[in-house]
Formats: sequence, structure tokens, C-alpha cells
Amino acid sequence: MNRFLAIIDATSKEQLGLLTIHRMPGALPFAGKYRLIDFALSNIKHANIKNVAVFPYGNYRSLQDHVGSGKRWDLDRRHDGLFILPPKNMAVTSEDMISFQRMHEHIEHFRRSTQDHVLITQANIVWSIDFNSVLDNHIASKADITEIICEKKRLKTFIISKSKLLNYVNHYDAIPYNTLNDVVRFAPSVQINTYVHQGYVRYIKDTFNYLKGNLDMLRFDRGTQIFLSERPIISKEKTAPPARYESHAQVTNSMIASGSIIDGVIKHSIIGRDVTIKRGAVVENSIIMSNSVVEANASIHYGILDKSTVIKENTVIEGTLFDPYVTQKYQVVTNQSHINVLHVASEANPFVKTGGLADVVQGLSEHLAKRGTTVKVIIPLYKQVKARFEEALKLVESRVIHYGDEPCKINIYQMNYHQVDFYFLENFRYFERDEIYGYDDDCDRFALFNHAIVEMIDLFGELDLVHLHDWHTGLIPLIFKQRHKNPPKTLLTLHNIDYQGECKLDILDKLGIDYQSDFEQTLNFLKTGITHATKLSTVSPTYRDELRYEYYGKKLTPVLLKRERDFYGILNGISTQLKPEHDTSIAKQYSEKTLADKLENKRYLQRNMDLIENDNAFVIGCVSRLAEQKGFDIMLPALEQFLHKHEDVQFVILGQGNQHYIDRLEELKAHYPTRIALNIGYDATLPNYIYAGADLFLMPSRVEPCGLSQMIAMHYGTVPLVRQTGGLADTVEAYDSVTKQGKGFMFFNYDTPSLLQALHDAYTLYSKDQTTWKKMMIRGMQSDFSLIRQATKMLELYRLII
Amino acid sequence: MRKDVVAMVLVGGRGTRLGPITKYKAKPAVTFGGKYKLIDFVLSNLSHAFIDTVGIVTQYEPHALMDYIQRGSSWDLDVSDGGIHFLTPYTSFEGDKWQKGTAHAVAQHIRFIDMYKPKHVLILSGDHVYKMQYEKLIHTHEESDADVTIAVFKPHDDLSRYGVLDLDQNNHIIDFEEKPDNPKSDYASMGIYVFKTRVLNEMLGNNFNHANDFGKNIIPKALAENYHVHGYVFNDYFRDVGTIQSLYDANMDLLDHPEYLKLHDYKTQPLYTKTENLPPHHNMASDAVTNALISDGVLIMGRVHHSVLSSNVTIKAHAFVQDSVIFSNVTVGEHSEIKNCIVLEGTYILPRTKLVFDDVTVIDNETLWAMGGKRS
Repeated sequence: MNRFLAIIDATSKEQLGLLTIHRMPGALPFAGKYRLIDFALSNIKHANIKNVAVFPYGNYRSLQDHVGSGKRWDLDRRHDGLFILPPKNMAVTSEDMISFQRMHEHIEHFRRSTQDHVLITQANIVWSIDFNSVLDNHIASKADITEIICEKKRLKTFIISKSKLLNYVNHYDAIPYNTLNDVVRFAPSVQINTYVHQGYVRYIKDTFNYLKGNLDMLRFDRGTQIFLSERPIISKEKTAPPARYESHAQVTNSMIASGSIIDGVIKHSIIGRDVTIKRGAVVENSIIMSNSVVEANASIHYGILDKSTVIKENTVIEGTLFDPYVTQKYQVVTNQSHINVLHVASEANPFVKTGGLADVVQGLSEHLAKRGTTVKVIIPLYKQVKARFEEALKLVESRVIHYGDEPCKINIYQMNYHQVDFYFLENFRYFERDEIYGYDDDCDRFALFNHAIVEMIDLFGELDLVHLHDWHTGLIPLIFKQRHKNPPKTLLTLHNIDYQGECKLDILDKLGIDYQSDFEQTLNFLKTGITHATKLSTVSPTYRDELRYEYYGKKLTPVLLKRERDFYGILNGISTQLKPEHDTSIAKQYSEKTLADKLENKRYLQRNMDLIENDNAFVIGCVSRLAEQKGFDIMLPALEQFLHKHEDVQFVILGQGNQHYIDRLEELKAHYPTRIALNIGYDATLPNYIYAGADLFLMPSRVEPCGLSQMIAMHYGTVPLVRQTGGLADTVEAYDSVTKQGKGFMFFNYDTPSLLQALHDAYTLYSKDQTTWKKMMIRGMQSDFSLIRQATKMLELYRLII
Repeated sequence: MRKDVVAMVLVGGRGTRLGPITKYKAKPAVTFGGKYKLIDFVLSNLSHAFIDTVGIVTQYEPHALMDYIQRGSSWDLDVSDGGIHFLTPYTSFEGDKWQKGTAHAVAQHIRFIDMYKPKHVLILSGDHVYKMQYEKLIHTHEESDADVTIAVFKPHDDLSRYGVLDLDQNNHIIDFEEKPDNPKSDYASMGIYVFKTRVLNEMLGNNFNHANDFGKNIIPKALAENYHVHGYVFNDYFRDVGTIQSLYDANMDLLDHPEYLKLHDYKTQPLYTKTENLPPHHNMASDAVTNALISDGVLIMGRVHHSVLSSNVTIKAHAFVQDSVIFSNVTVGEHSEIKNCIVLEGTYILPRTKLVFDDVTVIDNETLWAMGGKRS
């Protein structure tokens, strides 16, 4: 009795999107009336553990509210009991798992405890497990650490003696491991005992697992493994009357919590407390959280409705098991299926492109149009565009507007391209120039662009939303607010925050904007946009979170923090055509079924780039701008050591940029002329040769808002090695040596040793275990990074805004 | 600690007319509406009126009730000053104190009331179905400066079952008739009284040794002695579920007239109850449940129509339950058919049992045993 204390690790945010905006994963409702943390707490209660510490990250109000004093789990005690130990720095980022440093912040808790062993488990696992048996097993094994795993899943659940744990915790700043997970994976002389848990387990790390886990409870064989009468799952007491079926209720295999009133059709769904499903409504394969209302004739398939969502009459909501439609708390979803949106950007493919923005604007607008949205796009009419497309452009409007004292003639041209109406704003003085950007008066140019769009917004007919991209459009929300009583709703997407459009305040005078106290010494387009847009988004969920820190957010962090609850992260997509089976440019087309043909491409790459032709060589590919943020400062020293250590490693790079890096690459190439291929300049070679021919794709970026190359590499079956940041963290699932699952290699600390360790792991796996490596390639090739997915998510966000 | 109002809840009656339903428990502990007990109504009403000093006057089979109420935390009545007190019959200097009527039961615990020196004493019955705002009742009592206020209602059925009260224009009570053949008024007593503490002491003092009932003895006496007796007219839903039929009817009212008790409307005095740790009910059937109240922990594989199911009930495949009230932990076996039944806690109905009746019938393991192998 009282042999161990428990730590419930709630430091990870996981990938639960909208669901974790207001709460942490442990506080997520499950199976109608539980919260995820109830499983951990109930298992702990049944093991008679009396000392429990919960380590939350960030906003733990919802969790605190739920667990209270811990009375329901017999943890309201004179000695020991339940402790919630918050981070010292509330703005601390969510972690993979609880770090030793985090524990050290509350070292007093461990010193005061009397128990000899420590159980560390997660707040978001659905299972019923006897921790006492695990402890017995751990003691009998005489191992240093026992890890509980289930089938192919690691659960970040460990038992370790308190003295050994404190050894790590006390020296957290001197040891190379941050977490127990690191110790298990990397520490050489530590004895690990593995305890395989038999029975149902689901680790709720994303919306798919969340939906699937809930729906699993509808299967008799699964549900009965969790809700055992002798080991009940205990939750906070709430009173609601019995669920009420009215005369038109048609319910098939569903769980319905008390207080709900059912008069519609429910199939294979989980209905929380006090939900109303009105007559004629259809709910299928969905989770409806408490207090939501589904009005008459609405239909929901594969949806997750957060608390108090209202689905208006006749609204259709359609998700998939792998990508459920998720609403936000208190969201009202209307039946407006047809949305009119105007995109405003500085560039768009196929007209003008200097960077990724042009691709995103085109891909997104095209796929939104395919999904039934009426999409219009407006960009400035640059000289280059006019030269190439003059024939196809149709003049639709000419007006003179005033910018300061200066009258400006604005012509608007239009052209339909792939179901999207593209508009071009022409002004001779500001846009009839040789370059797209880079003029001293760039801010004036785009201020006029913004001003003219607001002045001429009537041209675009009825609009539900104006979708803005980057700093070039940042003044539009403010100008709208000043000139319109009911300004259109705006969504500002941040693609690149390195450019913010900073200039003198006199631009506001020219626009006739009143700015007494609102502004500082200078005008910042992007900051103004962030402050005034209805909602904000950026290009990946992780980047959205990272922007809260000065390290990533530059000067925008304070203003972004203010808008935190209006800020969303939606991953960019790539074309499903970008796959080796469709690619006619490469040496031999291949797919996951003809994986062996990838070798032809490797040979072609080696031959073409004058590398040693060796089928077994480990070819590392890289397609990147040669810039600091892409990680070259840690990459170059790592490569140097790595190439030196392993004879059979080759490196191919395509890129352009900083001369300093080019020089260093040349130096390296001089050392290993037959093992390094440099392609400097964007047109030096086709990137597809590298995507198709390399074994490993290297992308150790310091900052990466989204990143597309890693997705393309995965489509091409080239295993990515990335730093855990931004879109890289959202797209690459890290390989785990215990379960042999994952899609690529990942490291967190931005330093050469961490990158080297990851390179070493990749190399070892490649040379020792080709079977696992091939499985990884296939998992990458099967990933869904499609634009369709991005457009679907964007449409969900549009519906949330309008 | 001084309190304005102390409530005395009478839960001692056996409720013989409920037959086997009250065999092992007092009437207030009887299941109602799936997940409630009758006592929930009074305790919730008290909680909403912030009356937190409550004496539960027990006698008959108190264990189930004590176990259920405990310290009253489910109704937020577990306060440190006041709270819930179980008042049981006891032996004293003056002899055994076995209860002889409602007033007699309260009289025994007059010292409990005195402890709090309240202005008023609210006398309640633990087995009524209604949502009342007691603060309004107390307010009327104080405003009219009555010595006694009685809550009255217009029964939906035969008045001759009730104590009928005759009210004048100012709602003063001028006459009382116990179960009259030709009632003079439409109003009947609800058995809910507010006494000025002084008046209660006067009327109950020195009356320990003979049978004494509020309805039969105290009120007529108060009228006779010219105390100011006031009527508080209650127009909402009220049922005294003293019989099997009335208990059944009140359950069916939940299905047919949700507007009566508004269980799903939290704005009007939500009904609190002690909840167990149970998963939501799991309806594994398809399209087979209509017009029903289903509690947590229920598993449905068969059909249910127009019925109220308590927690942890299992309806096996091809079973059909209609127009019935099923208490907790009941299993209805495959191909069984049930109609017009109240099935008591823990009853196990074997497969292919036919329990179809025209009149409401109470079913428990003992009746099933007695019926033997009557299968369809």
C-alpha cells in the first residue's frame, strides 16, 4: 500500500486543433460524460495511489474546474492527495512530455513525498489498467525503468524509483536528456523493462483518434473493456434528468448522456449532456458535446461539435473519419452553404510569383471554387503580368480616387482562370514598374492598393468575407472600419512575418485615417492588419503556437497574443499531382507499389551529378533557400562530421541564396568531390530529381512556418529529417525506435549534436533495417497533404467567421 | 446559530398503499422519473430556497433513505451551520417516543428546532412530487402575519380524498373538512405548513402522549382557537403519489406532459439528485426507442416505447417494454414483453416472459417466483 506516487503529465498540447484552444487535452470530454483525465485518475484511484500531481501547461482552468479537490477519486486527503503544479512560466510552450526541468520546478513536492516509486502517465489515454500489477512487474524485473506499451503504441507511461528519477531531475541542466522518453531511447546503460498492456488503449493525440476512440465505445467488445463495473471510470458529479426520446426519435447504436432531448435520427454517435437533436436532424458517426443544439433537418456526418455549438436548420456538415469537421465552443453554424469570398494578395500564380504565397493563393482559390465557393482574387497589375496576359484581360472599371492630394486613376481588369475570377488593379504610377517589390515607396504602393480596393469594393458584388494575405493587404481591415458602418468580415493569413511593411505615419494622413492614440512612431501594415482583422490564420498549427514567443514572433508577439483566441493554424496543402507516379520528368516513374523503381532515380541522380554510383550509398537530398532560418548554421558542421564518419554518405543540394553558405558548401565539396553535388541557382537542376533520387530529405530549419518540400519529399518516398518546428512538426510524424512507427526523423534542440544524433539514427536504420525503412517510405507516400484538405479546413474556418 | 427558517421533513410514513414498492424502504426513497427519489423534490426545493437547516424525521425503514441522503451534499445542503439532521424516534426520560401522527413526530424534536431559534418552522412531507419556491410561501406567511400558513391546491381528482380548506377573499382559512362528501371549496391541503415558532410551541407543547396529526388535529384546533390560519394557493403541478396508480400516473406525466415538471428546463428550479458513476446509456438497437426517459448506464438491445427506465437497466434483444416504469438494475430477458408494469429494483425477468396487463401491476422477483413458469 502507498508504494508509489503518480504524476499525470498534461504538458502536451497534441494536435487537436480547435478542440484545445480553450482547454488542454486532458479536459476534453469523452464518451458523453467523462473527461480524458478521468481515465488516468480512475486507474490511479483503483491502484490506491494517494499522492497525485498533475503538471499542466498553459490554460488549465477547465482541468482545475473538473478535478476540483479530487474528492471523487478519494484524493481529498489530509496527507498527500491531489496537487496541480503549474509551470513557473505560464507562457511556456507545450512539450512532448514532461521534462526533468519542469519537475525540478516543483522539486519540493518530490522531497515531501514518502513513496518509493513514481508512476508517470499521460492525461489523454483512454484505458483501464491495473498499475499495481505494473509496479509488481517493475520491482520483479529489477530494471531501472519500466515502460508500459500497448501493441505498437508508446504511451509515455513509465515507472521508475523515486531516487533514480530525482537523479535526473536534480541534474536536469547537466544531462543530455530532457525527458524519460529520451532516457529510454538514448541512455546506453539504463535497464529498460517493457510491460505490454493487454486490452483496449487509445492515445488521444489528434482529432482522428479522438473521434475513433469515442466511436470505439459503441463497440460492445471495446466499451466493455473500459467501463468495467468493478473498476468504474469516475467523473465529476453533475445532475441532469434522464435522456428523453420523443416520438420521432430514431436511434441506432449510440451513447446518449443524460439531459439530452432526442427527436431526430442518430446513428453511431456519442451525444453529451443536455444536447437537443430536433426533428428531422440526422447525426451520424459524430460526437456532439454538451449543450449543443442540432436544429431541424440539419445533417452531420463525421463531425465533432464542441460544447454549446448550434447547428441551424438545414445545415449540412460533412467530415471524414480521418478529418472530422470540428466546430468551436459556442459556434453557430448556419446553413449558408454558398460563400462569396474575395482574396486580396500581392501575387498569385500563374500570373506573378516571387515565392510560395503565389502558389497558395492559386491552389487555395481553385480548390475553394471546386467546392462550390464563389472565389474572386485581386492582385496589382504589374508590368510583367500585363505583358503576358494583356490579350485575355477585360477592362471592367475605371475610376479616379484620391491618395492624399494626388488623384490616381485606377483601372480594374478581369480574367477567369480555372473557375476563379481574377481581378487586376492597374495604376500607372505605382505598379507599372520593372520589379514587383523592392522600391522605397513599397508602402505607398500597397497603401494605394488597399485604399482602392476598399473604395471599389462594390465591384465585387455581395461578399461574405475578404481573405487577406500578408502585409501587402494589412491596412484593409482598418480602412474598412473607418469607412463602412458594416464592414465586411476579414480574415488575414500570415504567410511570412519577416516582411511587415513598416513606414512613416504620413501614409495614414494620405488615407484620411484618424490615428491619435492608436499608433506608435511608425505604421506597421502587418501589425495593423493583425489588430483589426476579424480573424487571423497562419500556415500551420504549430507555427501558430510558436508565434506566441518572441523567438519566432519578432515584434508581433504582443499583438498576436492579444488576438490569440481569433488566431487559427491551417496547414498548407500541395497538389495530389505532385507524386512520382505522375511525374514524367524523372528517370522512372514509381509508386508505393513499385517502390523498387525508385532505385533507378537514385542511379540517375548519382550519374547526373557525378557522384559515385553506389546503390547502397545513403543519399541525403536538400532543396532549400540558402538562408539562416533554413538551418544551415547547424547543418554544415553536422554534414562535415557525418560525411567524415561514413564513407557511403552522399549529399545533393539545390538552392540559391547567401554567398557565405555557398562558399562553405564549395569548401566541403572540395573535400569530398565525388560525394557532394552542388546545384546553386534555382534553375540549376530539377528539384524532382532530388525528391525522387535521394534516400533522406534534410530540412533542419530553425523556423519553418509550413514548408512544402518535406511534404513533396514524403510523396516521393524520400524520408524527411526535420527539426520539430512549425509545419515540419505538423506534417512529419517522428520515427519511434520502440514501436517502429513514424514517417521521418525529428529533433528539437537547434544545435549540431542533436541534428547529428538524428542523422545517425536515420543512417543506422537505413543500413540495418531496410524493411522498417521501406514501411516508413510507404507511410510517407500515403500521407494526405492535399489542397482539398486545406480548402476544406479553410471553408470550415470561413463558416466559423461569417 | 440562529436561522430564520428550520424545515422539518416528515418521512416516517410507511405508505402501505404502495404495496411491495415500500416493503423495504420508506416512501420518500421510492424511485421516480428514472433517476430520482421522491425526496429529491423536497430537498431540491429547500436548496433553491436557501433553507439549509433541515430535520429529516424518520421512523419506518430509514436506512435506504439515510444512505441516500448522507450529508446532503448532492443538494448543497452539507453546510457547516445547520445542514441535514436525521431525527429518529428515541427513548427518553419520559419514555419511548414512537411516533403517533405527524404532529407528534415533530413534537418529539422540538428541542432540535429550539437549538436554531428560528422565526418560522416549515413542515414538509418527503413524498410529494412538485417544484415549489418555498421563499414565496414564507414571504406570504410573513406578509399576512399569519400564525400558520397552509399550502393549498386544486386537486385534479376527487376532492373527497383530501382535507378540504375553505378560504375567504383574503385567503384566510375559515373552515376545514377532512375527506368531505360534499366539499364547500375547491382547495385541498397539500400537507405543507409554516408555523411561527411560538405558535408551534404553543400548539405542540404538552401533547406528547396522544395521537396527534397536523391535518386531523392541529389545524382544526388552531381554527377553533382563533389562530390566524392563512392559505397559500399553489397553482403548479402537485401530486401526492400515495398509491400505485398515482405513482404510475405521475411517471407517465413526465412522458406525456413534460411541461408539468420541466425536468429538462434548468431555469425553473432544476431537480437535484445523487448521481452514480455511470456511463451514458447505450442504445444498441436501431430505431426502437420512442417516447421514453432513459437513465445512465442503461443498455438497450430491444424495443422501448412510452416508458421510464432507471439506471443500469438492461433490455435484451427482441424484448419489448411499453407503458411501463422500470426501476434500476432490472434485466428484461430476450423476447419478453412488458406492458403496464412497475418493475422494482433488481428484478430479473427471464427470457420469453410475458407480463402484459390492463391495470398497472407491480413486478418484483417475488411476484415472478410466485407466477412460476408463465411464459409466452
